[in-house]
Amino acid sequence: MEPIVELRNLSKTFGSGEGQVAALQHVSVAVQPGEIFGIIGLSGAGKSTLVRCINLLERPDEGQVLFHGKDLMNMKTKELRAVRRKISMIFQSFNLLDQRTSLDNICFPLELEGVPRAEAKRRAMELLETVGLPDKANSYPVQLSGGQKQRIAIARALASNPEVLLCDEATSALDPQTTDSILKLLQSISRERKITVIIITHQMSVIEQICNRVAILDSGVVAEIGEVEKVFSNPQSAAGRRLVTPDVALPLSTWEGPVARIAFNGNMSEEPIIASVAVDLGIKLSILGAGTRNVDGKAFGAMLVSLPEEAEKRKAVLDYLNGHEGVTAEVIQ
Amino acid sequence: MFDLFSDPVKVAKQLDIIMNEFGFATWETLYSLVLEVAFAYLIGLPLGVLLVTGEKEGIKPLPKPFMAVLNVVINLLRSVPFLILMIITLPLSKIIVGTKVGTMATIPPMVIAAFPLVARMVESSLREVDHGVIEAAQSMGASAWQIVTKVMLPEALPSLISGCTISVGTILGYGAMAGIIGGGGLGKIAINYGYYNFKFLVMWAAVIGLILLVQIFQSAGTWLGTKCDKRLKNRS
Repeated sequence: MEPIVELRNLSKTFGSGEGQVAALQHVSVAVQPGEIFGIIGLSGAGKSTLVRCINLLERPDEGQVLFHGKDLMNMKTKELRAVRRKISMIFQSFNLLDQRTSLDNICFPLELEGVPRAEAKRRAMELLETVGLPDKANSYPVQLSGGQKQRIAIARALASNPEVLLCDEATSALDPQTTDSILKLLQSISRERKITVIIITHQMSVIEQICNRVAILDSGVVAEIGEVEKVFSNPQSAAGRRLVTPDVALPLSTWEGPVARIAFNGNMSEEPIIASVAVDLGIKLSILGAGTRNVDGKAFGAMLVSLPEEAEKRKAVLDYLNGHEGVTAEVIQ
Repeated sequence: MFDLFSDPVKVAKQLDIIMNEFGFATWETLYSLVLEVAFAYLIGLPLGVLLVTGEKEGIKPLPKPFMAVLNVVINLLRSVPFLILMIITLPLSKIIVGTKVGTMATIPPMVIAAFPLVARMVESSLREVDHGVIEAAQSMGASAWQIVTKVMLPEALPSLISGCTISVGTILGYGAMAGIIGGGGLGKIAINYGYYNFKFLVMWAAVIGLILLVQIFQSAGTWLGTKCDKRLKNRS
């Protein structure tokens, strides 16, 4: 199938001289029609820049931005504006017009297209039903909760009958329960209206809950891309493993010796590996911290352990640990 | 001036002036004010919009030299003391309104003094509009014109009104000074009768009249600005 959105070899650099930041470096991503595609990364990974390149709110320095195979980079302003109506966007801070009612906010994109007022109002009312807030038509944004504002923003994004919906950290400002309900709404919208959804987030749970495929962005580079279950249950990249394995804080003040971080990627969490080190190598490791996360029925864990002071023994421990399938050990201190 | 209250003839004379001339003077003050504010906004509002939209990161970047000239002109006009600006630009009145004397003649210099202030007021109001909202409009395919008319100006309306209130107060002050070059109104009465002819009762009455006008405009502006700001709606 031809991708609906395809980014080819995008690069974008901000600033110049010493303060130069390469936000994106040769990023290529193809999104299929109808799928819910996630882009995850830590803050500063370039996610927001990437999603803004899809509708050219941000112009990449080089590369191609294809929508139905047509390059947006070569389009004239007018053509680009027409395409933007087909690629809607919602934001972390909702970005509603504070001086307009909910209904008029939803009418806004229709107004831009010159749809007659009565017709626009009728469609806005329908959309208010879709997002479950028909009684808030005459409320102003200040009178709404965060979740309600995002629902109005979603209704507004749908008003122009888009083919693609971009979500830029759309749930990051919401509490877990509200996040959940917004994600369900996005899922049902995608299914019923055959809208391709592209979600930018730093939250694993968001990707797990509704995405079909995911791309992991790390320092402006796509570290990994694939189906969510595959990527999360068996991450191939360092960035992927970092995301999937839980964060364990290091008690720096109390420990001065060398420390290793052991990540378990779900294949063998049940094996008594620390005990095995003691038995097989005769080296006792003390556990400084540990955590687990359940991904798709598999336990992902991370553990911080002390390492022997002697370089030889240290190497022996690391080699032993890395010799096990599904275990990655690295010295972090 | 303290013999003011001791001479009944003087007091009666001055009260007479107040009774006879204040009505028309107030009217003159008001109509010149309306004309000045209207023309100052006619020129200043679009310039204020350009100052925001035309900059490098704006929604419709304009050539750098143009923006530089615009900024310099506005700053220049803003930094020349009003009285001097008024005298320098008075010859323009001959061209524009056909005379160098009278109330009408003072209007062009006043507009020239006021529009840069208005442009800066509008600029600062528009800068308060959340960039995210403008970005949202862009993502919906809005044109620069649509963003200005449907997003920036309406979203900044409460702030624009409060800026307008400040501008009106300042222009009213300019108008009082215009009495020196022959502009009519309360300012002229204060200067001519009071300052030049020692009729202090008249002068103070004119000053109180001006204070009242400023008060009325300020209260009306604050009320209107608050009333139309939907961000201040009580949560229901």
